[in-house]
Parts: sequence; C-alpha cells; structure tokens
Amino acid sequence: MLTTVNAFLAAKGIYLLTFILFSLGTAGMIVCNNYMKKLICMNIMQVAVIFFFLCLGQKNGGTFPVALSEAVRAEEYINPLPHGLMLTAIVVSLGTTGVGLSLLLRLLRIREKYGTVEEDEIIRREQKI
Amino acid sequence: MMLIIEAILLAGLISIATAIIFGRDLMVSVVIYCAFSFITMFLYIIMGAPDVAFTEAVIGVISTVFFIIILRSVKRDAKRRGEK
Amino acid sequence: MRKALTVLLLTAAITLPFMFFDILPDIGDPASAPNSHVSDYYIEHAIDECNSPNMVTAVIVDYRAFDTMFETTVMFLAGVAVILILAYHPKRRLIVPSRFRRFDARTGEPMYNTVNKDVMVSIIQALILIYAIYVLFHGEVSLGGGFQAGALIGMTYLLDVMVCRREVPLFRLGKFKAAGTAGLGPFIYAVTGLLPFIGGGLYLQYSKLPFPVHEAELHSIGITIVEIGVTIGVAGTIIAIINALRERIAFDDEL
Repeated sequence: MLTTVNAFLAAKGIYLLTFILFSLGTAGMIVCNNYMKKLICMNIMQVAVIFFFLCLGQKNGGTFPVALSEAVRAEEYINPLPHGLMLTAIVVSLGTTGVGLSLLLRLLRIREKYGTVEEDEIIRREQKI
Repeated sequence: MMLIIEAILLAGLISIATAIIFGRDLMVSVVIYCAFSFITMFLYIIMGAPDVAFTEAVIGVISTVFFIIILRSVKRDAKRRGEK
Repeated sequence: MRKALTVLLLTAAITLPFMFFDILPDIGDPASAPNSHVSDYYIEHAIDECNSPNMVTAVIVDYRAFDTMFETTVMFLAGVAVILILAYHPKRRLIVPSRFRRFDARTGEPMYNTVNKDVMVSIIQALILIYAIYVLFHGEVSLGGGFQAGALIGMTYLLDVMVCRREVPLFRLGKFKAAGTAGLGPFIYAVTGLLPFIGGGLYLQYSKLPFPVHEAELHSIGITIVEIGVTIGVAGTIIAIINALRERIAFDDEL
C-alpha cells in the first residue's frame, strides 16, 4: 500500500499538486479584482515554479549538496544546479514585488486625480482641459 | 516517506492559496501569505535544499512587510475590502 | 460562483494534459535527464577545482559566474526602476488652520518608547548584522552566500525604520545614495572579472588572478570578492526600495 502510494506520488502525484498550485496562482491573478491580491497570487505562482524545478533535482537516498569526505560518488548528492538557479530567482522576485507595489501606488494616485483608472476616460478628461 | 510528507505540505499550501483568493478581508490575505512563506520554507528543507530555504525565510519576511506597509497606507484612499 | 468556476476550469486546462501523457521524469530517479550530463561533473569536481565544499556556491559563483553577474545587475535595475516610477510631484495639501499646526512637529514619532521595542530591537539588530557577515564569509564552506547576507542586512534596515523610528536610521542613505551603492555591487563583480586578463586568462577565470598565492587560494579569493559585490548589490536595492516607498506613504492621519 505504501509502495504503491509512493510510486504514484513519484510518477505523477507531486507534479499534479504543483500544477494545481500554479494554476491557482494564475487564476487568482486573473479573477481577483483587488490589485494587492493579484500581487500576492503572483508570488504563489513563483513558489510553484521553484518547487517544480527543485523536484527535478531529487535523487533517492541523496544528501545535502555539501561535500563530505566519505561520499565521493555523484549518486549520493542531490543535484546542485537547480538550487543555484532558484536562489537567484527568489531574490529577483523580491525586486519584482517591489516594482509591482510602486506601480500600485502610482495607479492609486492616478485614480485619486482622475476618479477612474480607465484609459479612455482619462484621455477624454485630459483633452477637454 | 519523504514524498508523503511533501504531498501533505503541498495540500496545505493549496488550501492556503484558496483562502487567499476567496477571502474577503485584505489584511487576512496578507497575514496568511506570511504563513504560506513559512510552510514553503519547511518544504524546501524536506526536499534537501537548505540554501534555498534560508533565502526563502529571509525574503518572505521582507516581502510580507512590504505588503503590510502598502496596505496600511492605502487604507486612507480607498476601501480596504473588496474593490480597488 | 463565477470566480470559483473560472478557477476550476483553468486548473483543469493546465493539469489534465500532463496527467494523461508520460512526459515528465520520475522524481528521485538518479538517471533522469536533468541529473545526468553536466551536474555529475559539477558534483565530482567542485572541491578539486573550486576549493569550496558547498556545491551550490561553486555552481553559481564559479562555474556559472556570468549568470550571477547579470542577476545582480537585474537587482540593481529593480531598485532604480522603483525610484523612477515613484518620482512625481507630491499631493498638494490643504491650508492647515493654525490651531492644528502645533501637532505638526511631533507627527510621526512613536507615542511611547518602551524597553521591549527599542532596546531589544537594537540588540537584535547587532546580532543579525554579525550573523550576516558570518554567512557572507562562510558561504563557501557551508550553507550561505552573498544573497542571504544582503537580504539580512536589508532586513536590519527594515527593522530599524519600521519599529523604532529614530531621527537618524542605521544606514544614513537616501534613496539615490542607496541605489548608487547598489550599483557598486555589479561594478565590483565586473572588475573582478577583468582582473584575470592581467594574469593571462579569460574573463572571470579565477585561477589566473594576479595575486601571489597558491592556486587553490585564488579561487577562494575570487569567490569572496564576488560575493561581497553581490551582498552590496542586494542590500543597496532593498534599502533603496524601502526609502522610495516610505516617502509616498503616510501612517497617521495627517491634516
């Protein structure tokens, strides 16, 4: 029972859950009306993508990617290449969140000045003045 | 065994994501996002990526504080619940 | 109802094609495609060639150093972008009647200064800074590196600005100076890449750096200088974003 559950999870189960999380993040960005929730759902999407990359680097019976003196074969260490790529991806996502929040502040100032965020209304109002 | 623990944590993450999308109050969503970041840190440790977990722990805190800063300040301009 | 239906349909559209076809490899398989080819070389030769037991640091700063240089540049550009987006004229305020003006001088100061908030946070800031420098220099032996250290320094500044709002914060950097400091990070990285030209090597080839030490030490020196550059880039960007956002927000109800 345990081995069949493990076999199903290894082949398809974990990927299924990762794709559900990714699509929840995407659908949240499309469906939510609130701008802050859209930014939060963008970060949820990013977590799903990073988890997918780290899944591809797993090895059965592998240890942390820090070199020990006992183990010398490459089969006993987890693949360090996806870890390196995802490290920079997390830090860059912080910068992306900061830029998104500054765009949000700008949008609110526009809405305060013109009363709306629709582009045709703003153009019409500017042309009248 | 590790795969079963990963599946349970992933199911927890999916339920938190559902609560973020379908919640009504915005402050609740931001606080739950902090819990989301915390559980992903555990997930990364179980998968054998402690470097990534360390980075996620620090960046998650900074990101949540950014959201709380913006949330408290835009309360004066628009309604905090619902429409923006 | 409409929201839930949209979410469900999008989930089904993304998930179902992958469940019916065997495209993706098994998790935990040591012979799958991402675990073969080049990762075995990195794992087996990380400690011989790069003199660093931490394989993740060896991959991102030694074998793939060119990618990390541009990642640091992207962080610097994010800081600059935040400053440029939030550069508009401030909101015009109403004329304040004189009976409210006497509250202006003390607006924004904390209402009370307690031992918990001010003293303990100062002690914690000192410990976090020591830990950040430890993580930076210890990154090639065990876990750590430049990105974590830079984010920890940014978190120290965030604590200082948000919790105990003194007149002079920890790093006296405005938003422009912080972005300039963040630009110093990729600059240090690029100059360290140019130094091997003097010794007769290629760009970012640490074994041909012109320092008169043993060859294994050259990799350690190169990695340390480059990680310092990454730390300065990340910390400067976080400080610039915090300062740029703080000028446009108001916490108390000002008149």
